[in-house]
Amino acid sequence: MDFRLTDEQEMLRDSARRFLEKECSLEQRLHAPVNGGFDAARWAQFAEMGWLAASLPEDCGGLGGDIVEAALLMEEFGRNLVVDPFWGIGVLAAQTLLAADADKARELLPLLCAGELRPALAHHEVQSRGVIEHVTTQARPAGDGAWTLHGEKTLVMGGNVADRFIVSARTSGGSRDRQGITLFLIDANVPGLQRRDVRLIDNRWSAEVTLDGVRVTSADLLGAVGEGWAALEYGHARGLIALCAEAVGVMERAMWITRDYLRTRKQFGVTLNTFQALQHRMAEMLIELELSRSMVYRAMAYLVRPLAARQAALSVAKARVGQSGRFVCAQGIQLHGGIGVTEEYSIGHYFKRMTVFENELGSAQFHLEQLALRECAEPAAARAQN
Amino acid sequence: MDFKLDPADEAFRQEVRAFLKENLPPDLARRGACGFHPIRADQRRWQRTLFERGWGAPNWPVEYGGTGWSHLRQFIFDEECALAGAPATDNGGLRMFGPVIYTYAGAELKARLLPGILKGELYWGQGFSEPGAGSDLAALATRAVRDGDEYVVNGHKIWTTGAHTCDIIGLLVKTNPEAKQRGISFLCVDPATPGITVRPIIDIGEAHSLNEVFFDNVRVPVSNLLGEENKGWTYAKAVLENERATSAEVPLNKRKLAQLRHIAMHERSDGCRVIDLPGFAPRLAQLEVDLRALEWLTLRALTEKSEGAVLPYGSLLKVRGSELVQRIGELTVEALEQYGSYLYAEPGEDPDAKPDWPPGPDYAPGVVADFMYRRAATIYGGANEVQRTIIARSFLGL
Repeated sequence: MDFRLTDEQEMLRDSARRFLEKECSLEQRLHAPVNGGFDAARWAQFAEMGWLAASLPEDCGGLGGDIVEAALLMEEFGRNLVVDPFWGIGVLAAQTLLAADADKARELLPLLCAGELRPALAHHEVQSRGVIEHVTTQARPAGDGAWTLHGEKTLVMGGNVADRFIVSARTSGGSRDRQGITLFLIDANVPGLQRRDVRLIDNRWSAEVTLDGVRVTSADLLGAVGEGWAALEYGHARGLIALCAEAVGVMERAMWITRDYLRTRKQFGVTLNTFQALQHRMAEMLIELELSRSMVYRAMAYLVRPLAARQAALSVAKARVGQSGRFVCAQGIQLHGGIGVTEEYSIGHYFKRMTVFENELGSAQFHLEQLALRECAEPAAARAQN
Repeated sequence: MDFKLDPADEAFRQEVRAFLKENLPPDLARRGACGFHPIRADQRRWQRTLFERGWGAPNWPVEYGGTGWSHLRQFIFDEECALAGAPATDNGGLRMFGPVIYTYAGAELKARLLPGILKGELYWGQGFSEPGAGSDLAALATRAVRDGDEYVVNGHKIWTTGAHTCDIIGLLVKTNPEAKQRGISFLCVDPATPGITVRPIIDIGEAHSLNEVFFDNVRVPVSNLLGEENKGWTYAKAVLENERATSAEVPLNKRKLAQLRHIAMHERSDGCRVIDLPGFAPRLAQLEVDLRALEWLTLRALTEKSEGAVLPYGSLLKVRGSELVQRIGELTVEALEQYGSYLYAEPGEDPDAKPDWPPGPDYAPGVVADFMYRRAATIYGGANEVQRTIIARSFLGL
């Protein structure tokens, strides 16, 4: 076990930090016109710097890294609250595609790495509430081995700029069966697909996608019919870790911003940092931050474990990071006082980011409930030894 | 970054597990798994067993009879021992005082004190706190005045764990009353020396581990001075740092959480397992989440320790670890209902004693006593409020 970064990983992190501080800082964005959170020229730079390729295998045009590289980048994005759709396209969609279909991954991921293809994962639905296998979108047989897709997808991250959608649809089974989920890769402007872009409270963008009779054939399949769940689980696992890593970056920056504020703001004739009540709150923020960072490490370590242990570790991480993130960023606002709730000042934006985090890939409460179900189902001895 | 557990470390875990299965007597394991303070006879017996296996001091370097294990292996060892219900080994000698002695003491004192710790023959009491010196430890007032080859000690210590059964007391004294930190020295004192009176303090769990110790013209040979005169504060800080590094007590918390699970699966409400009652399992899950976070923060602390850690890990772990042990205790007592309220008297030092306990399942005795004792967890080893101040000042620059 070694928590140190390799030289390459350190270079990746440092170069990302430098670039994002210079080009994507929150201060720059606050005064930039709202443009759907996408800057094509900057996306090309992401590709050029190898960020889209960093956590993909070499035979798919990647640089051979894995989740650690994605997590490093996401942490840096979190520090600056970057709004570009790196997570939706470069992590969630890319990792799902990688696991779904080896041939298509080799064909399409090199384009994604080059910034020339931007697929988004159209999977989440209104009643998903964290459950990966929740799919009610239907793929109805339409003769000659074709299907038509019917359903509505929400919170499609990066969907506003996607040129392809990876759509999950049911070819058999009930709304929460693992079996019977089929993945299709479709063009963003295919007939029968409607898109409505939605700005989120944290200034990122997603899309609602309505599928009303979109015709697909076996050529559009990703993987085998009815077998899409495993790829979704693979993509979600990595997506969840990347999100948590981003949250660590969010928390860390929020903490230091608050620290700096306390050292400069004067009341009662002294700077706020001299008040012990406030010092102790900041100590709590650091504790929560470092517990969360540890959870990201643990989740990465458990990625290679069998499904049950892996899912438990992911739930543990998402629950803890969600709780810590909300605490740290809420404290950040509180310690700033009134200026903390203004749109113009930075700290509130960190809180907004953590608010959206809670509604992505299952809330802390959802993951606690998953763990609670496990507690009731498994023998105590087995749990202790994990 | 590499999060894989080395196969050799995993093999080591299996080796420890097999050793425990073979060598940990069931009566020790039974007493070790309940919440009462470990009895000295069990501790001595178990320490001897570990010593004979060459595992007497997992955290010491080989040259002093330790194992030379990596931090990770020590952690694995502690975890396996805790889960098996092995009696707690002497934290004072092995973790707090031993390392200070081999780091700072002269050759004679090392030779005199270290082997006894290894063999389970020399148990330590911590004579630090005083009625007027708790969180502000350097305000201690116990005086030692040099008289020929001896120091004459007068004063009053408090919260001295195990003073009634220990073989030696690590005592902080003022040798220069003009100075604060720089007037403190560190003496190793035989508790049988004339002039020493030990008075028990019964904690709110009605158990006896704490004591007051009075020193009335106690004569201590100068050869029992650890290191240099007036340098005791440096050594005391090292002791306290050693205390905090393991203060999250992850192995102990793991055992307690496993016990809570067991209890929640066996206690019932109109036939329904307590764990299946609405709301109970999510609270259990929250404890699991927080324990895992603490476990991996500990692993980071252990891994980075060798490279000069930047974060104030000891303080971070102390705060959350002590809170967690209290929270686990709360839910356990609640799960036990009436058995969480019954007074199960502490059995005392005699391993063969048959206590006259109220009825109840085997897992009930010791739970509420430990729960009561652990109110001190957020106080001992430097109160959590002091830790938060340390974090804020030393790391956050506030």
